[in-house]
Amino acid sequence: MIRFLLKGILRDKSRSILPIAVVAIGVALTVVLSAYMKGAFGDMIDQNARFETGHVKIMSRSYAENKDQLPNDLALLGVEALKNTLDTEYPQMEWESRIKFGGLIDVPDEEGISKGQGPAAGIAINLLDENSKEAQRMNIETSLVQGKMPKKSGEAIIGHDFYEKLDLKIGDVFTFFGTTMEGSMTFKNYQVCGTIRFGAGAMDRGILIIDIKDAQEMLDMEDGTGEIVGFSKLNVYDDQETQIMAAEFNARFMDDQDEFSPIMMPLRAQNNLGEMLDYSNFMSGIFIFIFVFAMSIVLWNTGLLGGLRRYQEFGIRLALGESKGHIYRALIFEAILIGLIGSIVGTCIGLAGAYYLQIVGIDASEYLENSSMLMPSVLRAKVLPYMFFIGFIPGLIATVIGTMLSGIGIYKRETARLFKELEV
Amino acid sequence: MNQETIIKINNLTKRFPVGEGEFTALKNINLEFFKGEFSGLVGPSGSGKTTLLNIIGSLDSPTEGEAIVLGKQISKLSHKESALLRNKHIGFIFQVYNLLPVYTVFENVEFALLLQNIPSEKRKKMVNDALEWVGLSSMANKKPDKLSGGEGQRVAIARAMVKNPEIIIADEPSANLDAANAHAILKTMKQMNKELGTTFIFSTHDEKVMGYLDRIIHLRDGMVEEDEIINVNHAP
Repeated sequence: MIRFLLKGILRDKSRSILPIAVVAIGVALTVVLSAYMKGAFGDMIDQNARFETGHVKIMSRSYAENKDQLPNDLALLGVEALKNTLDTEYPQMEWESRIKFGGLIDVPDEEGISKGQGPAAGIAINLLDENSKEAQRMNIETSLVQGKMPKKSGEAIIGHDFYEKLDLKIGDVFTFFGTTMEGSMTFKNYQVCGTIRFGAGAMDRGILIIDIKDAQEMLDMEDGTGEIVGFSKLNVYDDQETQIMAAEFNARFMDDQDEFSPIMMPLRAQNNLGEMLDYSNFMSGIFIFIFVFAMSIVLWNTGLLGGLRRYQEFGIRLALGESKGHIYRALIFEAILIGLIGSIVGTCIGLAGAYYLQIVGIDASEYLENSSMLMPSVLRAKVLPYMFFIGFIPGLIATVIGTMLSGIGIYKRETARLFKELEV
Repeated sequence: MNQETIIKINNLTKRFPVGEGEFTALKNINLEFFKGEFSGLVGPSGSGKTTLLNIIGSLDSPTEGEAIVLGKQISKLSHKESALLRNKHIGFIFQVYNLLPVYTVFENVEFALLLQNIPSEKRKKMVNDALEWVGLSSMANKKPDKLSGGEGQRVAIARAMVKNPEIIIADEPSANLDAANAHAILKTMKQMNKELGTTFIFSTHDEKVMGYLDRIIHLRDGMVEEDEIINVNHAP
């Protein structure tokens, strides 16, 4: 009987190709859009994590409250001891100090007279320690436009556009003017060893990257740091785990009476990323719901039209002794088959499209040029394991629901009335 | 002569709701059909022929009275039981053949046997025998749209007879056929009736069909107007 039904489906193109095409298109769209949303939001969150928030970040309480102002006067002290504790208590994480600072870059000409100046947004990370993954984490080497990575103290990487604007050359020396942790003026010469472009408008404007030890020395922050960022050693952000970790850390180390006591903040608690995470999950859910709902209606209509076209067939089958229940079940079986084939085809097409968008992406740099959001300029999809089956939810469920709804009329009608309606 | 009653209709009335009222399609019908009869219901449109055939074919049930087909009271059968009765014991032949267009001649005839879960080899033999009976063995792999009207109706006959049913209900089987084809299929059915003992009940107003019938039941306004016996061998 199953073979008989299969023959019918294969030979009657309006029962096979049309519904399979409808399902495949819906499933492909679901997969591509889910992958794109996941990728775009994921990249945004990942970029924020790598450059800004970490999976968790530890600051002093008062630094956390004013962090937009880069208040290094409120920095954490006793960092080495704290990091040792963190390594012991949370061995699943990697901990790194970072200092953000602002100041002015002055470029002298051959006679030592200033030929150009510009405001710099500095970030100091662990560049010179071979065991540190910071450079890799921030894609510094791959984002270099010219020059090389710093190999020794006193070398700096500078944003490529900034570098061109200041008319610098690799090997040139410039002076950085800033403020120490204590509020005094400080200045130090650096040699340009490389230029960089991350592809994120907010970061590329006036960026200056130096080694953390240089920054500690320059800013009078010995054994101090603005932030300690923590990253899972598996490099996977676990929202729930980081929240638990932060709550536990804060219960142990945070002191409401001491504004310099450390506070740990998970990624979701920083830069509105919690809302973004929730929004990403919510939108994925909405997409799937919309596709299930919309496709149910489309497939219901397709089922109704197909059913109308097949009224005569149903009538004949009733007359030949097939029960209404059997016809209904056969329709559901066909729907499952169509849904499965359509879902497989749609998933393959969708994954191919998503993979293409993962490799090539959509270039949004034109729109993000003046944005202050930390966003990648090329928004890419991300193919994840669950996308191999996510399309089956709308593809299969919508097809079966559509058929169940359209076939219910056949099931509920009096046989004789149905037989008459079937025009047999 | 001792004859076996296979259909017994007692005081059968069938009413259909029409708007807020009711339409009486059959009024107090009393009939008996015997095994091997070649009989027909004759009457104008609206006389109740199709309604009566539907009840005999277990597609419908009476409002009052009873119809007992092969010992089963139609009004008491569940959907599944009435489907089973149609599947195993009753064959249908329609005015417009009603073959399934995507299936071949062989598969159209095979369908009823698939519902009975008959093993493949046996099924194949039964289908080939039925097609041979109606002279269409060479057309087994053709699709219905490649057949002439007469051939299409012969496939329908093969489909009805392949399961060797006790009763075949034929609703205006010659209406779409020319005279030569109509006679050809009527001869085939008559031969089946004689050789296999299958009971035929027609609904018709075609003179050609009437010429083959042993018994003609005239219906008018839902009532039996006349029960005309032509062949005394099947007298009620």
